[in-house]
Amino acid sequence: MKLRIAVAVLVIALAPLLLQTPYWRGILIVCAMNVLLALSLNLVIGYTGQLNLGQSAFFAIGAYVSTILTKTYGWNFWLAVPVAIAAAGVLGLALAAFAVRLRGHYLAIASLGFAVITYQVLINWERVTEGVRGIYGILPPPGFRDQLALFYLVAGIALVVYLVLGNLVRSPIGETLRAIREDEVSAASLGINAARWKAFAFGVGAAIAGLAGCFYPGFVGTLVPEAFNIVESFTMMAMVIVGGMGTMIGPVIGAVVLTFLPELLRSVGELRLLVYGVALTLVVLFMPGGLVQIGAALRRKPA
Amino acid sequence: MTDIAALVAQQAINGLYLGCLYVMVALGLTLIYGVLNQINFAHADFVTVGAFAAFFVATRFATKALGLADTTGYLVSIVVAFGVGAILGALVNAAVFAPLRERGDELRPLIATIGVSVLLENGQLALFGPIPYQFDSPFTRETIRIGRIFFTQQSVVVVLVAAVSVAALYAFLRLTFLGKALRAVSQDRETAGLMGINPSLLIALTIVISSALAGMAGALLGPVLVLTPFAGASVIVKAFAIVIIGGFGNLEGTILAGILVGVIEAFTVQYLGSGVIDLVVFVLLLVMLAIRPTGLVAERKEENV
Repeated sequence: MKLRIAVAVLVIALAPLLLQTPYWRGILIVCAMNVLLALSLNLVIGYTGQLNLGQSAFFAIGAYVSTILTKTYGWNFWLAVPVAIAAAGVLGLALAAFAVRLRGHYLAIASLGFAVITYQVLINWERVTEGVRGIYGILPPPGFRDQLALFYLVAGIALVVYLVLGNLVRSPIGETLRAIREDEVSAASLGINAARWKAFAFGVGAAIAGLAGCFYPGFVGTLVPEAFNIVESFTMMAMVIVGGMGTMIGPVIGAVVLTFLPELLRSVGELRLLVYGVALTLVVLFMPGGLVQIGAALRRKPA
Repeated sequence: MTDIAALVAQQAINGLYLGCLYVMVALGLTLIYGVLNQINFAHADFVTVGAFAAFFVATRFATKALGLADTTGYLVSIVVAFGVGAILGALVNAAVFAPLRERGDELRPLIATIGVSVLLENGQLALFGPIPYQFDSPFTRETIRIGRIFFTQQSVVVVLVAAVSVAALYAFLRLTFLGKALRAVSQDRETAGLMGINPSLLIALTIVISSALAGMAGALLGPVLVLTPFAGASVIVKAFAIVIIGGFGNLEGTILAGILVGVIEAFTVQYLGSGVIDLVVFVLLLVMLAIRPTGLVAERKEENV
């Protein structure tokens, strides 16, 4: 475990030294944010088995709440972050209020609808969100104005979240969530309050996505609703599935691969987004456990 | 007729027209769900492919190469879109859906449909580019006027095609042997298999029928939508809402909900503006899920433990 943390710290520390140009450092920051988002969704889909297609909504809430508090109301960024996380978490609980009554496909569409409603509110509530015009001139968090510092900040947070979530899923709480995933009725018959724990997973997942959202606007500099189109929920899910859902390292691998692969294929032009479709389809068809399956298969083989 | 009555009648007709478009998109979704118990996210892109097929037939092939009148050309393009949708459905089923189904997992087939969707969208993006195509139906030029109510010939075409499709689908399901077998598979796949029905063949047939319907819906929607590779995606989320409001897998419910949403949308545009349509529809969806999660027309289903 300690070795793994050391490796992770080393990778985070060295990555910006290998990728020196501003362009690639930007990609690194995006990658760290994607890792956070994939981790947040994995808790809900991978560990609790709840098909949530609305994760982009919580990312959006985090981004908008933190930006509006700092830009319109002049709050300190670090004060706005906990509020943004709480706002996303509360909305996660609101979705959970529906989710606990629904299963599988109904939940998928309800959460998708939730993301659409959030997106529409961002577009239509112009007095607060500036609608499709967007909010401009957003600065990165104070003290992290240059790309290198921002990357270390977001990647550091992602590492902390990874460790906390890792402990969570190994704890009795994690076992409870997995029991609900495997068979909700059996879990309930063992005295597990499935509704409460599903709400817990939704709330924590949403809060982490909200946390990731706090860093997005400062990095891009502008904030428009289009960034939180429902397609974003699909790309997050692609990361979780391609990497390997229900494992801790899987979504991290998925996020890294699906952030860098399209960039490496940028020379192919418009075709780069095909990567998501191809990767998702091929992995589901031939590697149902995701990329982590390769590692597991290698380990099983005698040397 | 008083002003208000004329206005209401006008919006009701607009709503019926819109509703029929939605029904055409939602029918295939609900059919697949009813038989396979699966959501198909790629359905949107079958609609887009149908729209592009119809566009090229109506504006290029039928009128320029074959020299047909543009109205005939459009009608031909609807039929072609139906066929293209069917072929695409058969291909995607053989390549992706059928192999996955044998593994008996619920989540992965659904994710595969998202993968296919992203693939089709970006494939079309590579082929047709991001700039919207102007797909005019020759029937939109002609307006019919009854008293103070106006509607285009296009809306008559849409309502007629939708009515014929629904009637044909019902006739197929109720009157033919294949239709009966299909309903048997949708009720209980295993038992139907024991009765000598080949479930995978009928599932393939279901996918072909629903993608053919999606293709045809594309031909009808093409002149309404901004025709880009992502055109289908703009209606599909609403189609999902309709399918849920009607009750998943329930044909009557879907038809009812489709027309209801069309009418609500027409009145929303009139009184609240077009910006809030999606908001109204999805709030309706969430309210529906909260008070009546089984949909408008409920189907009794017990759960196996």
